Amino acid sequence: MMTCNRTLSLLLAGGMALSAVPAVAKDYILAPARPNKLVIVDTEAMAIDKVITLAEDAGPQPTVPVVDDEGRFAYVTINRTESIVKVDLTTGETVARTDFSSAGERVKTLFGMDLSPDGSTLAVYQSPVTLGTTHYEVQPTRIAFVDTATLETVKTVEAPRQITLLMYSADGTKIYGMGRSMFVFDAASGDQIDEMPIHGWKPDAYMQPDVLDVWSQFESSNIMVTPFYTARTDLSLDDPEAWRTGMLTLDLESGEMEMQDIRMMDVFYFSSAASPDGTRVYGAYNVLESFDMEKVEPLKRVALPHSYYSVNVSSDGNTVWLGGALSDLAAYDAETLERKGQVDMPGGAAMSLSNIRLFQRDE
Amino acid sequence: MKHLTPANSKAKAFVEAQAEGREDEVVAMNSLVGCTTSFDPGWEVDAFGALSNLCQPMEADLYGCADPCWWPAQVADTLNTYPNWSDDATNVTEDWRNLQSVFPEPKG
Repeated sequence: MMTCNRTLSLLLAGGMALSAVPAVAKDYILAPARPNKLVIVDTEAMAIDKVITLAEDAGPQPTVPVVDDEGRFAYVTINRTESIVKVDLTTGETVARTDFSSAGERVKTLFGMDLSPDGSTLAVYQSPVTLGTTHYEVQPTRIAFVDTATLETVKTVEAPRQITLLMYSADGTKIYGMGRSMFVFDAASGDQIDEMPIHGWKPDAYMQPDVLDVWSQFESSNIMVTPFYTARTDLSLDDPEAWRTGMLTLDLESGEMEMQDIRMMDVFYFSSAASPDGTRVYGAYNVLESFDMEKVEPLKRVALPHSYYSVNVSSDGNTVWLGGALSDLAAYDAETLERKGQVDMPGGAAMSLSNIRLFQRDE
Repeated sequence: MKHLTPANSKAKAFVEAQAEGREDEVVAMNSLVGCTTSFDPGWEVDAFGALSNLCQPMEADLYGCADPCWWPAQVADTLNTYPNWSDDATNVTEDWRNLQSVFPEPKG
């Protein structure tokens, strides 16, 4: 998530100290594909740059990748989200692995994982279950703090249930966990320090919002944004205008969270992503739709050839990338929403619920 | 116990556990269990009572439902129980015919 800021710092430092031509950061996409592939896509060439094969048991689907600032290492949940591997994206080698489950305990991480801005720690949401002789016992959910050098778990701290996404604040001091509320944790201690209502948002004016978001795709904007669905309490539910789509935004720089009613609910968006300047949000599923976040209103909607779960925005804000579900990454013009091209996964491998991540590398 | 024969999988597990001195680990099931807690509609009909907000085509959603054990009654659970269900259908659009129905393993 800090790639843009870090790259800017490098450019400034290079320019002042050496007056040299600065390196140009280029966008790549990291897309997990069935059953055990990581596909790196050069977005400029709109072509596959490298296909990495993970361990045999990585399948059926590597799920959540997160890439470090340099674009060198990716940390990826594999093995039905019970394990994490550290993958060198330049050589394709898996350099470290950790397995969270043991003989008596099954640990799923599902979707919540983020890398600290300094690159030292992974925060991983875990759902453990004790496997008894004839029964299972659900254990308290927790956040595990994993050392990225060794992939050893440094500590675990209990956390509320039903958290899907974890996000570090841009300064690395907080971790946000999105569940029935937006829970805020101290990144050093793991202690919960705040809770911002999501299900409890404006209960007098709206019914309990419904949120489904399992896609980490905030790296080019530092804004986590997710659609939510609700209904106004002042209108009859027979009135189509009563049913509302909203956008929940969490600014990872400032920590400010907003939930805003943005339009009548007539379609779904499975996920959304913000432009780097935060003025636009793009929602995707069976349609791609752009929203003006300054006027808090929809801008444009186009039909898609098939469902896409995941959406991400290029670092220059000009291209919206869609992925997930089936096997192609599709590029759309961020302003006109015209389709610019697509990149097919090798062998038509499906991407399922995988998070499609953007990262940068200096060329 | 020599006059009793276990009649179901739970009783059989108890007998096996008893032989190992672990009978305390066999407990009665006190609630419905399964890997899913999702009871929302959405596979057969969308929230508007129609079809257009279901995944298009339906193959697009097969693995999105299988991988997180979202609707295990409709789509096999690859998260825990049937991890190899999709091995012969990496390209789900072309190879969906290789996806078979699944049945629980016999117990007891």
